[in-house]
Amino acid sequence: MSDFEQIATVDELPPGGRKPVVIDETPALLLRIGNDFYAIEDVCTHDGQPLTDGPLAGCEITCPRHGARFDVRTGKALCMPATEPVQTFEIQIRDNAVFGRSRD
Amino acid sequence: MTSSADKAVVERPTGFQRAAFEAFLETRDEPCWITDLRRKAFDLYADRLEVPLDPEEFKRVDLRAFRPDDYRLSPPAAPSAEFATLLADRAKFAGSVTHVDGSGTQAVLDEKLARQGVLFGNLATLVRDHRTVLEPHLMTRGVRPATDRFSAWHAAFWTGGTVLYVPRNVQIDEPLHSLIGLSEPQGADFSHTLVVLEEGSSATLLEETASAHVDAPGLHVGAVELLIGPEAALRYVQLQNWNPRTFHFAHQAGHVDRSGKLQWTVGGLGSRLAHIHQRVSLDGQGAEAQVNGVTFATGRQLISYYTQQTHNAPNTTSDLLYKEVLRDKARVVWRGMIKVEPEAQKTDGYQRSDALLLSHTCRCDSIPGLEIEADDVRCTHGATAGRVDEEQIFYCMCRGLSRFEAMHLIVEGFFHSVYDRIPVEAVRETLSRTVERKLGIGG
Repeated sequence: MSDFEQIATVDELPPGGRKPVVIDETPALLLRIGNDFYAIEDVCTHDGQPLTDGPLAGCEITCPRHGARFDVRTGKALCMPATEPVQTFEIQIRDNAVFGRSRD
Repeated sequence: MTSSADKAVVERPTGFQRAAFEAFLETRDEPCWITDLRRKAFDLYADRLEVPLDPEEFKRVDLRAFRPDDYRLSPPAAPSAEFATLLADRAKFAGSVTHVDGSGTQAVLDEKLARQGVLFGNLATLVRDHRTVLEPHLMTRGVRPATDRFSAWHAAFWTGGTVLYVPRNVQIDEPLHSLIGLSEPQGADFSHTLVVLEEGSSATLLEETASAHVDAPGLHVGAVELLIGPEAALRYVQLQNWNPRTFHFAHQAGHVDRSGKLQWTVGGLGSRLAHIHQRVSLDGQGAEAQVNGVTFATGRQLISYYTQQTHNAPNTTSDLLYKEVLRDKARVVWRGMIKVEPEAQKTDGYQRSDALLLSHTCRCDSIPGLEIEADDVRCTHGATAGRVDEEQIFYCMCRGLSRFEAMHLIVEGFFHSVYDRIPVEAVRETLSRTVERKLGIGG
């Protein structure tokens, strides 16, 4: 398992905000939903392209190209054309800093 | 020279901005014509950086995790590092050149060949005394600095590299060996391979890249130019075996003149991310090129080959065969193009890429292409991708093999059709051994 690395500060992202980051050499998307932070791999498992600008509704992010939806908490693919889950990262908040690391 | 090298040790800016470029130039003891070329290339590089990367090309090659400013060039001292070379001890060589962290550390050539006028050594040294031989060829025909940001970047910062020049009608029977190594963490290597074969000559060059440490991040921005004169024949092998934390970018070009022959074998085994443009141009009547590729990607590797076979003259033949094996979460991209110019009648072009997927989570994108402007040609292309057939594994296991051994047998068999095309035994053996190692067999 990789070490936690700082990827943002808490006040950088307002609720509903997002930030493309790199965790464990992997492009990831950090999302703030209310006061919770989530990070998923910033790649749609359907077409291999970024999810960066995908619309977010509740905890579901939609791929801007073909409409695949993923649950950002678990990575689960919620509708076609995606069938494989997207990787999620472990997030820790320490004071004002947001840390992330991969789960495997 | 010593003082400037010391200065570089003290300052050593990371990254490749103008300050780093100026500091780099100060460490170089080079003739003016080289410095001028570098300055022009750096301006080009600065321009190209302003232009966004081609979205079509880079949508499959994700560079978001790549930060060029994390890397730096080493001062031109001679670092000493041990490399687990794949080839060095496997055959008798007529000469060998070694580069570590961009500096030439060794260059040996059989005296008999040196007397015949063969040049084999480090580019950084040879440009000082052999301008007339090198200037017409260095980044003029093969790899042009203006191609994209990576070629301009390389042309501005090239650190050294292997040069082989074979005069007219000189035959070199024993192979030559070249090793490019990276030892320093965050180190960058910008080596340039230049091979010039004059009319009627022949040679074999085996080149390999290696990292001294398994987990030291590294960067290679390289170029390979193979210029084959009329009726000359070159066999060139490049085994890319960096550690899995190295980024590898390269432009590689071969030009074959009238009735010349080029046999080019690439092994894409290592690196975190490799993106290579490999182009062969058949420029003279009757020119022939055979391109063989063996790729084995594991873990989170991404290996991308953009190949192009350009037929510029009549009666030319090109034959490309790539074999890719993928496992874990690896990705391989192969985009091949056969381009036939209007004057290249009677072209015979072939390209094929086969991928074997060993896991559910790996992915291979194979995109063959043809662009034909002549009307009397034969061009064939194809690509396949598939999983290992469970029935084949079952068949092997029924005969007493473990699942693991069965898998190995199938992978070996898959690569065999490309091994069969490689005439140098040491290379065949090395590839086979490396594949075994990647599969987890052997040391």
